[in-house]
Amino acid sequence: MSLTSLVPLIGIADVVIGLSLGSRLFLIAVGLSLIFGVLGVLNFAHGGFYMLGAYVTLAVVSNVVDNFWVAAVVGALAVGVVGAAIEFSAIRRLYDRVDSDLDQLIVTFGFVLVIHETVRFVWGSGSYSIDPPDVFNFSVTLGGSTFNAYRLVVIGLAVGVLVALWLFITRTYFGSLVRGTSSDREMAAMLGVDVPRLYTGVFFLGSVLAGLGGALSAPLQSTSPALGDQVIIDAFIVVVIGGLGSMSGAFVGAMLIGMMQSLGPQFISAGSIAIPFLAMVIVLLIRPEGLFGGIGE
Amino acid sequence: MSATDTGGRVSRFGSAVAEGWTRERLGLLGAVALVLVAFAPPFQVYLFTDFLVVALFALGFNLLYGYTGLLSFGHGLFYAGGAYGIAIVLRDLGPVIADVVGAGISPLVTFVLGGVVGLALVVALAVPVGWLSVRLEEIYFALITLAFGMLGYSLIIQDPAGLTNGTDGVIVLLGTVDLGGFSLRIGGRRIYYAISAVTVVAAVYGVWRVVNSPFGTVCKAIRESPDRAAALGIDVSHHRWMTFIVSAAVVGIAGVLRAGLASVASPGLTHWSTSAIAVIATVIGGATYFYGPIVGAFIFLYIRWAISRFPALEAYWELFFGALLIAVVLFFKQGAVGGLLLLRDRLFGDGDADDAGSGGGGARDDGGQATAATDDGAESGDDNARADRGDNS
Repeated sequence: MSLTSLVPLIGIADVVIGLSLGSRLFLIAVGLSLIFGVLGVLNFAHGGFYMLGAYVTLAVVSNVVDNFWVAAVVGALAVGVVGAAIEFSAIRRLYDRVDSDLDQLIVTFGFVLVIHETVRFVWGSGSYSIDPPDVFNFSVTLGGSTFNAYRLVVIGLAVGVLVALWLFITRTYFGSLVRGTSSDREMAAMLGVDVPRLYTGVFFLGSVLAGLGGALSAPLQSTSPALGDQVIIDAFIVVVIGGLGSMSGAFVGAMLIGMMQSLGPQFISAGSIAIPFLAMVIVLLIRPEGLFGGIGE
Repeated sequence: MSATDTGGRVSRFGSAVAEGWTRERLGLLGAVALVLVAFAPPFQVYLFTDFLVVALFALGFNLLYGYTGLLSFGHGLFYAGGAYGIAIVLRDLGPVIADVVGAGISPLVTFVLGGVVGLALVVALAVPVGWLSVRLEEIYFALITLAFGMLGYSLIIQDPAGLTNGTDGVIVLLGTVDLGGFSLRIGGRRIYYAISAVTVVAAVYGVWRVVNSPFGTVCKAIRESPDRAAALGIDVSHHRWMTFIVSAAVVGIAGVLRAGLASVASPGLTHWSTSAIAVIATVIGGATYFYGPIVGAFIFLYIRWAISRFPALEAYWELFFGALLIAVVLFFKQGAVGGLLLLRDRLFGDGDADDAGSGGGGARDDGGQATAATDDGAESGDDNARADRGDNS
């Protein structure tokens, strides 16, 4: 393999692991970014949604149907319903406030605590793990390094989600409503868009994506209640670097952070976990709108 | 008839109480309460010290949030800055100081010096971090402070300079002052409580002075409307920067006290979840009131303690605070202090404008009104004096 001969330190497996870490980050970050881009809400509870998706999937697989894909869909949809309920019951009340941004952040932070503790109450503090679905649960050896084939599936699904979202936002009627409302909410409302319903719909979609991220990465990691808190900070880094509201930005940002998590420790022994935060600070100062444009790009 | 009679009596009683609540008497009552706490059982002394430290942490945080409208999710950085400052001085300079001032008094000197170093470290951090952060507003300010806090967290964990002892943190040994027949264990619960109480009261008074100074008034103007404040010729970002530094310094003092109380400076102090404690306490207490964060910290620690008495619920206290936080933001933004004031007005000041007025009435939010009134009085007095002089000449 030319890549391995050029950079002998990097194994193919590390690249694949980095991309699969990036893929799960993308699924959380893109929902976070979509919700911010359209509703202007920075959803602190998005990491909690991700964790909830993983738990529901695990619960369905072990108790209801022994089919990972069905369980993943159930997990994602369940999280979507939870998200829509939160938007409908709580966040909706804050849109018209003067300092709504910070109130929304604080309320969604309240839901971080509620979701975290509810999950702990239902499933306990221990960590769970499951095997990848049997079809993909085999090792691939490439260029002398080995990784699980399921990682390739996750990467493929993330790319699929990016393409589907892009088509949805740019090519469908609902997508045009989303774009219109995101650029001028009042004008959209005047033109007859049912803005509250659209907001709930977008929040549902963003939550489904977070839940899907959690469901798909359940076989790749051990699932514990602390998962949400860890992953939301990474998602914040991703959306800041990619640009709040940008979907392609979320993809590139997620892959960057994923690769950094996978490869970073091999190159920089000290301070490697500090680099993403340093990058976040620098992007916020120099280009607060992120490295990529707004919604739909 | 009897009902109205009772109402009248309650109202009269209320007004009598309200008139008795002068600032001096309340202060005296507070001082007596603080002294009495020192004689409580050891755990209660510890819990109350913990409350004082968290109260100061939240108060410092709210200087920025409540008074300039900037929500920081990274004040843990300054909390940890104070804690690590004193911890590292105690660890590395203790023997040196003992050589200079003698072993007997050295623990106290080291403690004080450590506190000063911790505070200096925090200010040195806050000057650049604040300068960079105040360029951003709202969500972006919350995000950049979060990033700075987590940057500090990563550096403390990975410890590239070999100072912070990684995930274990730095142990804090306060030692015993020994002057011949007289010895004093600084880390003893009651002694440490006394040190904390004096420090926190002094710091709260200092913050109160800042808030009610012309500087504080400008801050409030910025909170209400940055644009209008700017139109009045106020340098908004400079004021925010200065407030950021003062806010961080107050939090740094709380961090110094935290290190001694916990006997360790741990990396968790910089984590965003620690910064969030200040947010929770402030919002629950009422961010628009000076005493809001203090009341919020009281609620936070004592309800947590009360929940911990029930083993079945102990693990889930965060659930309660999450729900409370949501409820407060959604339905009652004034928080606990706003609720208490409302309750007081309902009970005592209802429909009786005279009584409410004479009792210092209205929302005694931060004494700002009282001070403003005095200032007005002084000014009008000056005007009169000038008018008099004018008449004479």
